[in-house]
Parts: sequence; structure tokens; C-alpha cells
Amino acid sequence: MNPLREPAPPASPGSATSHPARSWLRGRSEVFVGLLVVGVGVFLAAQTTAMHVPDTSTGPGPQLFPGLVSGLMVVLGALLVVQVSRAPAVPPANGDTGTESAGIVGDLVEGQETRRTATHSDWRTVGLVLGSVIAFTLLLQPLGWLLSGALLFFGVSTAFGGRRSLFEAAVALVYSAVVQLAFVAGLGLNLPSGILGGVL
Amino acid sequence: MDTLVLLGGGFAAALTPENLLWAFVGVVLGTAVGVLPGLGSAMAVALLLPVTFKLDPTGAFIMFTAVYYGGLFGDSTTSILMNTPGNSSAIATAIEGHKMALRGKASQALATSAIGAFLGAVVSTAVVAFFSGVIIDIALRFGPAEYFALAVFAFVATSAVVAQSMIRGLIALSLGLAIAMVGIDAQSGAARFTLGVPSLFEGIGIVTVTVGLLALGEVLHVASRIHRQRDDAQLVRTGGSLWLKPGDLRRAIPAWVRGLGFGLPFGTIPAGGSEIPTFLAYGTERKLSQLRARRGKRPDEFGKGAIEGVAAPEAAASATAGTAMGALLGLGLPTSATAAIMLAAFQQYGMQPGPLLFERNADLVWALLASLFVGSVMLLILNLPFAPLWAKLLLIPKRYLYAGITGFAVLGVYASSYSVTDLWLLILLGLLGFMMRRYAIPVAPVLIAVILGPLAETELRRGLAIGQGDVGVMFTGPITLGIYAVILLAVGIVVVARIRAARRPAAPAERETNPTA
Repeated sequence: MNPLREPAPPASPGSATSHPARSWLRGRSEVFVGLLVVGVGVFLAAQTTAMHVPDTSTGPGPQLFPGLVSGLMVVLGALLVVQVSRAPAVPPANGDTGTESAGIVGDLVEGQETRRTATHSDWRTVGLVLGSVIAFTLLLQPLGWLLSGALLFFGVSTAFGGRRSLFEAAVALVYSAVVQLAFVAGLGLNLPSGILGGVL
Repeated sequence: MDTLVLLGGGFAAALTPENLLWAFVGVVLGTAVGVLPGLGSAMAVALLLPVTFKLDPTGAFIMFTAVYYGGLFGDSTTSILMNTPGNSSAIATAIEGHKMALRGKASQALATSAIGAFLGAVVSTAVVAFFSGVIIDIALRFGPAEYFALAVFAFVATSAVVAQSMIRGLIALSLGLAIAMVGIDAQSGAARFTLGVPSLFEGIGIVTVTVGLLALGEVLHVASRIHRQRDDAQLVRTGGSLWLKPGDLRRAIPAWVRGLGFGLPFGTIPAGGSEIPTFLAYGTERKLSQLRARRGKRPDEFGKGAIEGVAAPEAAASATAGTAMGALLGLGLPTSATAAIMLAAFQQYGMQPGPLLFERNADLVWALLASLFVGSVMLLILNLPFAPLWAKLLLIPKRYLYAGITGFAVLGVYASSYSVTDLWLLILLGLLGFMMRRYAIPVAPVLIAVILGPLAETELRRGLAIGQGDVGVMFTGPITLGIYAVILLAVGIVVVARIRAARRPAAPAERETNPTA
């Protein structure tokens, strides 16, 4: 998951000349996606050759399909790396919201080719959302749904710009309580009750 | 006559208070996710799947299909009123629909789109009900070679033909095939790519994959652009009569019918949903309008809010839903992401869609088809007068919407297996979905591959075993050869179109909506 950690290149135009390595990567961060696909393909191929196959006599075995798919992934990943290196994403045009496109058919109808535009990501918000989900995963069994679910809701709504913490916390608790009532009492799901197990 | 008797029995089952309730819940949910940009019926069904496993299957499937139809009704509302398509299937509607709204004809645009969607849904469902016998006859002639060819067709159509970039589409496909291979191989008992983790022996659940890619991936994607998205979309006020004037009707009716003509066949083709037929329908109407203007009959209104530009795409979009259900029920072939998840739902209930479903679960199939008619009527009522109310859904603060979706995502995945390992898998798949969105790699091929991958592999191995290693057996029979011929033709057309497009001057365009509706 390395490419996801790759920070977006700085937006100031001056940095392009001072960091030659960075400037090549501008609009080309997708090469990591290509490399990742190649990596997964190689991993699958290695696992396929090392696979323990129980003795069965007839027909093609369990290694045929994985072999095909891993080969496909290596080729496609390499092609993507080549394609992105040759044609990096263009920076988004100023003020131009762009016409919505629907793939090749959009091209056929509209008669225009679409060009990939570079996007930058807000890693702080993504990190907060991701952290909340990871915290939920760790806390679900010990704390139970009511608290960990509320914590998750609180974390995500804060990440998305909620400022009034007390109010957001109250909304979060209402949410997890309603879900608990509807799905545990109503539909019979078996959510962990955690430390509140004795109380509920 | 036989069909009418069966359908009558279906209506008797569909009109029980319980099933009416599920249909109503489904159409409301479906319209809501259709209205909200970024959310689609595929994600809604995936989130519902784990929490409904205690329901009676008939009720559950009535609700799922109602969500599917509802998504195709709701997506045009915000296209028309705010120029914000709720789904990729409503992009074509937005082009002329919003211009109509700006000209003060918002009510007429909404009515044209709702009636178009209704006609599409009802006609396509009727086609499926009355031609189910034909579909079954064809399906019964399918052997391993035919099924494998069909799966290859679905793979190539979703990944190479529909996707904007062939390489990215095929990468998505291979990722899906890789995910589908994890677990114990049913035919030989070999453990594949499990890394010795016991909870991976049963494979990665379809709910985890769908919710991770569609729900968590979408939340992370929106989070990454939260400070860049400009929220300047303005809701156009509606007013006046909803009724179409005779002049409007005279222009809308032929457009609805032509839209149906594009939508009906495309529902059975695994092309990832209703995006293609909507654009074909839109393009045709524009060309026709230019022709009429040249002959001096009526000035070309395209670009200024032409009613045909709303009528045809909407009828086309919802016509695909009905025939997609036909392909799913009769052939076991999912032609859109939502249909793919419904196939997984059938498997969860221990049923296998295909010709035998009409024999073994006839009650369910006919109740389902009948409830689609009922649901379409409900949707028309819900969407025709109340469309401006639905647009108010966009006023829900984004932070609560996405926090709520995240909560449902973890709830659904945990409830489908009661295992924390699946939550970790969900996080990984969410990151994958985020990465794919960031780099415009389509998500639909992954879902189609995860669902059809095991089928393709089983049929390939079965076919090769029958032929004792001779690859030629996979290319025999008229149906098989016909399918491969269509694949080659489609790829050829796309390659030619790409080369032509590359020669024209390029205009930058951004792709915003989620192509997995």
C-alpha cells in the first residue's frame, strides 16, 4: 500500500525546478499503482508455483487459472507504468468544471477525447477517517457496538468538519443506539455488547 | 396464457401486506441512494445483504430489486434540478434536463424523466415476464464452453469496452479475479493465497469486497477532496403544473420509445450498467433534432433544453434494469454491479439463478416479477409529485451522511461473518477502492470478476477436463463462436474509435461520478 502514502507533490510552481526527482513524479504518481499491480502479479505467481496441490488425477488443476491471472497482472502493470511515464496527468484546468464524460461512449457521442487530470488529496481527513475505522476494529470486541460505533461516527463526522464536539458526540450516541435497537432488537443481529454487557 | 397464470400467482404473493412493505422500503431507499451523488443501488444492496439474511428470501429480493429500480428513478432528480447527476446513468439526462429547468420548465423535465423511467421499467419487466420461456430454452443449451464464453464476454465488456482506459479496466478485472481466487479451491481442495490464515480458507466475502470498494472507498475518496469540492450547486425552484402539454407529449412519446429500443437490449449485455444506452439514446436524439432543423421542421433545441434529451436517456436507463433482471434470473449472468451483488445474494440463500431457478423457485421468481410492476407504480407516485422533496436530501450535512455510511459499512461486514478479520480486510479493500478512484480505475469490473471469476474457472476446468486437455473444445458450437465473434467485433469498434479520437484535438474533461450504478 505504499503508493497511498505518497504525499501529493507541492502545488507551488517553484518547486518543480528545485526537486528534479519530484518534478518527474508530478502527474506520474500512478506509476506506483502499476508497480503494485506487477508486485501482486509476481506474488501470485510465486504462491502459485509453491502451492501444495493434493493428488488429483484428472483435468487441469488449481494452478492453471492463478497462473493466467498472475501473468496478466504483470503485463498490465508494466503497460500502465509505461503509459503513465509517457503521458502524465495534466494539472486541472482553472475554473473549468469540465464536461461530464461517460467513457468511450461519451467519446463517441461527444467526439472528444478525455485527458486524465491530476488530483491532490487531503491526507489529514483521510487519515482521521482511516484511524477511526481502525480504532473501531480494535475496540469493537472489548467496548461493544454502542460505544465503538458511536466513537466511529464521532471520528468520521469530526474528520468531515464537525466543530461542536459535544453536539457531534450526542448525535453519534443516538446513531449507535438507534442501530443497536433496530438491528439487534429488531432484526436479531448479534452485535457485541462489550463492557456494557451487564447493563444492557 | 401460461405466463399470465404464473404472473397472476405472482401478483397474489406480491400484494400481501408484508411484501408490499418490503417493496415500499426498497423504493424509498433506492430513490434516496439514487438522489445522493456517489451512492448507488449496488452499495445499498451490499449494505442491506448482511442485515436481511433473517428475512424470508422473497421479501428480501423484492426489496433488493425495488432498490435497483429506485436508484434509476432517483438519479435524474438532482441532474435536472442541480446539474449534479446522482449516478453515472443520469449524466446524459443532466445535459438537457438542467437546461430545461433553467428555462423554467423544471416540472416538465421531472415529469418527462419520471414517466420515461416508469415506461422503461414496466415495458422491460413485461418483456422479461413474457419471454422468460425463450431465455430458459436458450440457457438450457449452455454447456461449459458457452458459460465460459459468456463470462469472458462479461469480463471484456466491462473492463475493456466500457472503461475509459483499456489498461485500467483490465487491471481492475485482474484484481477482481485475484480476490476471487483466495481460499480453498473447491475442486481440488488446494489452499490458494490464504497465507495460512484460517479465516481466509472460505475466501473473501462478496459483502466485504463490495462494501470496501464502494462504501468505504467512496468515503475515503470524498474525505480526500473535502476541502476542494465546491458546493455551489443551486437548486432550481419548481413550480407550475406537472402535466405535460400535448405539444410536449407529442415530442416525448417517440423519444421514450426510441430510448426503450436502446435500453432493452443493453440490459442483457454485461456492459456494467445503463451508462452506454443513455448516451446512445441522447446522441441519437441530438442527431435527429439536427436533421429536423435542417429540413426546416423545427429549430434544433439541443443545448437549450430539449425535452427529447430527457425522455430518451431516462427510458433507456430504466429499461436496462428490467432486462438485466431477466439475464440474471434466466441465465445467471449479472450485467451490472447491482445485479452482480444480487447474484451473490441468491447464493447466500442457497439458490442458483439460471434456467432451473424458474422450476425450483417459481414462486419467488413470479412474485419478484410481479412486485417489479408494483414497485414501478410506487416509484412513479413517489417521484412525480415529490421530486423536489427528494432533492432536499442533499441538505443532509455531509459529515453525518458519510459517518452514517461508515457505520453501516462496518456493521454490515461484521454482521455477515461475525469476524474481526473481515473488518481488517474491509480496511484494506477500502484503501484499494480509494486508490482506484484516485487514479480513475473503474470499480465495476472488480465486482463482475469477483462474482463470475469462480464460474469462469470452474467451467474452463470442466470444459478442458471433458476435452482431455484439448483447448479446442472451448471454441466449439454456434453459441460459443457467436459470443466470441461479438467480443472481437466490440473490441474492434472500440480500438477504431480510440484511434479516431486520438487524431482529434483533445479537450480536457474530468470524470466525477461513480461508474458502478
